[in-house]
Amino acid sequence: MKVTLNWLKQYVAFDWSPEELAERLTMIGIEVEGMQRLGGEFEGVVVAQVITRDRHPNADRLSLCRVADGTGERQIVCGAQNFQAGDKVPLILPGAALPPKPGDTAPFIIKVGKIRGVESQGMMCSPQELGLASDADGLLILPADAVVGQPFAEHLGRQGADVVYDLEITPNRPDLNSVVGIAREISAVTGNPLRLPEITLPAPAGAPAAEAVAVRLDAPDLCPRYSAHIVRGVKVGPSPAWLRQSLEKVGIRSISNVVDVTNFVMLEIGQPLHAFDYHLLTPTAGQRPTIVVRRAQEGEVFVTLDGKSRSLTGEMLLIADETKAVALAGVMGGQNTEINDQTRDVLIESAWFKPQNIRATAKRLDLRTDASYRYERGADLGICEWAGRRAAQLILQTAGGELAPGVVDAFPAPPTPKTITLRHQKVADLLGLPLAPADNLRHLQRLGLPVKGAPDAATCEVGVPTFRIDLKQEIDLVEEIARLHGVNNIPSTAPRGAKGAHPYDAVHDDLAAVRRILTGLGLLETQGQTLISDQSPGVTPAAPRQTIPLANPLSSDMNVLRPSLLPGLLDAARHNVSRKNPNLALFELGRVFYQVNGQPKEERRVAFLLTGLRHAPFWSGTERDARCDIYDLKGLLEEFLEQFGFRGLAFQRRAESTSLFLESAVLQLGKNVLGELGQLTPAVARQNDLRDAVFLAELSVDQLLALYRPGARSFKALPSMPSIRRDVAMLVPEATTHEAVLATVRQAKAANLESAQLFDVFRGKNVPAGQKSLAYAFTYRHAERTLTDAEVNSAHEKLLEQFQRQLQAVLREGAA
Amino acid sequence: MSFLEQIEPLRQAALADFGAAPDLAALEQTKGAHLGPQGRFTGLLKQLGALPKEEKPVAGKLLNQAKGELEAALAARRAELELKAALPKEPTDFTLPGRRHPLGKLHPLTQVTEDIVRIFRKLGFVVADGPEIEDEYHCFDALNTPADHPARDSQDTFYLRPEVTAPGAPAPKPALLRTHTSSVQIRAMRSQPPPIRIIVPGRVYRRDNADATHNPTFQQIEGLYVDRHVTVGDLKGTVEFVFKELLGNDVKLRFRPHYFSYTEPSFEIDFASPMVRKMGKDWLELAGCGMVHPKVFENVGYDPEVWSGWAFGFGIERIAMLRYEINDIRLFYENDTRFLRQF
Repeated sequence: MKVTLNWLKQYVAFDWSPEELAERLTMIGIEVEGMQRLGGEFEGVVVAQVITRDRHPNADRLSLCRVADGTGERQIVCGAQNFQAGDKVPLILPGAALPPKPGDTAPFIIKVGKIRGVESQGMMCSPQELGLASDADGLLILPADAVVGQPFAEHLGRQGADVVYDLEITPNRPDLNSVVGIAREISAVTGNPLRLPEITLPAPAGAPAAEAVAVRLDAPDLCPRYSAHIVRGVKVGPSPAWLRQSLEKVGIRSISNVVDVTNFVMLEIGQPLHAFDYHLLTPTAGQRPTIVVRRAQEGEVFVTLDGKSRSLTGEMLLIADETKAVALAGVMGGQNTEINDQTRDVLIESAWFKPQNIRATAKRLDLRTDASYRYERGADLGICEWAGRRAAQLILQTAGGELAPGVVDAFPAPPTPKTITLRHQKVADLLGLPLAPADNLRHLQRLGLPVKGAPDAATCEVGVPTFRIDLKQEIDLVEEIARLHGVNNIPSTAPRGAKGAHPYDAVHDDLAAVRRILTGLGLLETQGQTLISDQSPGVTPAAPRQTIPLANPLSSDMNVLRPSLLPGLLDAARHNVSRKNPNLALFELGRVFYQVNGQPKEERRVAFLLTGLRHAPFWSGTERDARCDIYDLKGLLEEFLEQFGFRGLAFQRRAESTSLFLESAVLQLGKNVLGELGQLTPAVARQNDLRDAVFLAELSVDQLLALYRPGARSFKALPSMPSIRRDVAMLVPEATTHEAVLATVRQAKAANLESAQLFDVFRGKNVPAGQKSLAYAFTYRHAERTLTDAEVNSAHEKLLEQFQRQLQAVLREGAA
Repeated sequence: MSFLEQIEPLRQAALADFGAAPDLAALEQTKGAHLGPQGRFTGLLKQLGALPKEEKPVAGKLLNQAKGELEAALAARRAELELKAALPKEPTDFTLPGRRHPLGKLHPLTQVTEDIVRIFRKLGFVVADGPEIEDEYHCFDALNTPADHPARDSQDTFYLRPEVTAPGAPAPKPALLRTHTSSVQIRAMRSQPPPIRIIVPGRVYRRDNADATHNPTFQQIEGLYVDRHVTVGDLKGTVEFVFKELLGNDVKLRFRPHYFSYTEPSFEIDFASPMVRKMGKDWLELAGCGMVHPKVFENVGYDPEVWSGWAFGFGIERIAMLRYEINDIRLFYENDTRFLRQF
């Protein structure tokens, strides 16, 4: 919403600079989003009125005057003789410059200064000084009806200097979508009275309005009030300069005097108006026309002012006569009754429409207008008749004509005025500030709210005017008081009070621990998009899980909630590899989403991606070109899970490739599936321009945390007795897994065996095809005494027998 | 030459040979030549027994002294040559880069979130959490959002396909992606009695096309405090503490009346700092806040005559962008490693 400084000043006096006004508005909740200065003629010159004229104490030829400038009084020393108290004159204020004259090298800037020992706060001007005439015969005396305080340029009908403010109006305050509404707030801050324009009308003439038109409300739920004024004999033409400029400064195009007036009044008071060409309304049976406010018929077609033909629904509200629709209520008028050059008689509509209905219509038709904007936020039910009369006054002024006597104001059920009880203690309790009841009363009264209650009473009754639909309960009044008192005047109190509790708090720490461990392992944390494409690789979860599609996605790139973190990691990999960051060790900890039978589920997971070089760049050694493989990933998982307190995990190889994995395994702890790991299929890698092998894993953090039992750690004494080591290399069939060897070791229960460590897996020379060589180191130790070789050999022999018997192992070389 | 006169030349010769040995192997050979069983000095020692009885003490003393000296000289030379042998052929270039095992990094949004959480925890707040798939009740209705408020619009809010219903709903209800973390306020207050002191970090969703300042997914953090006698002054005091901890003591804050449906009075918080001035502005919007609306308390079953409270919330990306002078929100979700490594 745009307003100008000069327009505001017509309704309330204030002496703030343009910047100070912006600051004041912002601090009472009307954020100034933009401020634009418009240059103009006679900047700093206003219409002033001489209040007294006395002789200067130190100079006979000079007079000492008190002058009203619209915001206050000034003392001016003047040398002219052609004026007296009561005269209205142009006054240039300190800081402003007189219009330059030919030959001037620098502008002549008026300052506050002493003339013969007496201070003069400005200068009253002659026509010559203002560059309006060449002779200098005393002050320019202005007509008696000149408006004190008005910028002189505006008085002359010229483009004056002004400041345009672009305001952000919060949706709860529709009353602020008007100049008067903003002025009312300024009035509340300054205590200066709000001056609504006085509507003085010439004597009405001709047949009364009620004989010219009737109004019938067929949908009083959507339109409880409709008032109509009739002006006859107008001459439609261009608007006068003041009207055109008022609109153009706030970004509204001038159309014609009659239409401009309806827009002006809408901006001034916030009430949208519409003007019909009276003679284009079809009279009922040769008599007066009847305005019918009705719902449209389903599919009814109507051509709006913009020439577009619109198909309506049965819930849209129309203004019609008995034969045709003439306006889309609250949104836009119709082409068939538009004001035009031939218009002589005008019907001014000023009505109230239900906000929800107007919003629905405007949205459905994708047609937003200044009128619909105001109606859908809530117009002032109480101002309809006034606004119509105000428009009539300005039409008479700018387009001539006569006002038909009276008004047709269909308003069958005016609502009873609301009041709210305010407890002064409540204000003090919530603001944390002992405001005096008298202060509360003052703030509310200045906002234009009728207040009943003694300053020493505990409560007061506050009336709610029709323009303040946002005031519904006591807390709304507390907010008004806080606003006007100024939140910056409420002292801060140091944090205090209760200790919080929430079950998630500990989980937050666990998640932080997960991240800390993973970054310690050298992984970079990523954060991917939650919304991904249903075409992403790996997006189909295992049945019965299904992805969750959006009903209203922005695009097909983001049409489902991620059921896995892996597509996001692949995105990150593609992004990085394409930007020549080919070596990646990434993780993400985040939520995934899936549905089971229409019930949405959210699950926290952690996912890993490795690709490219295993080690950071180095300048020597054979390892420097080594690429990551699946055991790098597995090692990370093992280290992570062990740091997080998990041991004894099973990795079950999947027999088949999947759509995502070339080769993969399921990670289990007991019966619980924790996640999966594997190598990305070459097809998906190619789609994502990933050249090196990519290794992926994903674990359920929710599962991990559910299984996690952080026990008290207790110290285990370090071994004090020496150990004995026996190495074994054996040939086993390819299908024999490391886990199978370990299982055999566990079963053999070799005495005093402390650990078994795999140190070599070998295929090739001296190893038959279909077999592999595994080499293990077995460590034997007794906690309390030194073992003898004989003891160890006996235990170890049994172990070797088991290998031969159960694994068909062939022991290699010196198996001792 | 007398026996005694033979000692000195042999000693000198041995010392000279030790010093001249170029490496450990040569040194050992030299040692054999002098001190070995067939060595020349050993030969002299062997003659000691043949000396007259009265000459033995003097000669023995001198011989032992010389032998000790030779052994010491040998050890010193051996140490010298061992050190020489251990040194690499070429001197080490200590300016060459070392073998690195780079640490991973937390995502900048995680880091900012953790910093904010740490500050709130100093004040006795705990972290709370809630679902991202929500229903209209928790996201809008209970927060006093009018039934026809534009925020509910499918223009602004992501809804799930109708076959997916809101979690835990007895009858099928439309499910949506939460537009703010404030839905967790409702869940927390409905599940536990006052007082409440929580912060809620998390992802939220708005139907905005991605550009430099928008991403359909972004992250917020929200604070809620409910207790007896909570005032606007308390809200200001806590907000000031948190932002001074977060952004530095030289920030100035101001509270500006605003409108949110779930708080009243409501304020926006602006801050001013040298950085804001560098951006050519006096104030920059930072957060929204206010006193919990009595309707919200009624909706969760708290008596607004007994309990009062405040809430405030802000965007985590915004704080991170200000802190690190990042100009495009999309960088957070692209995960370029050159970006991630900077924080």
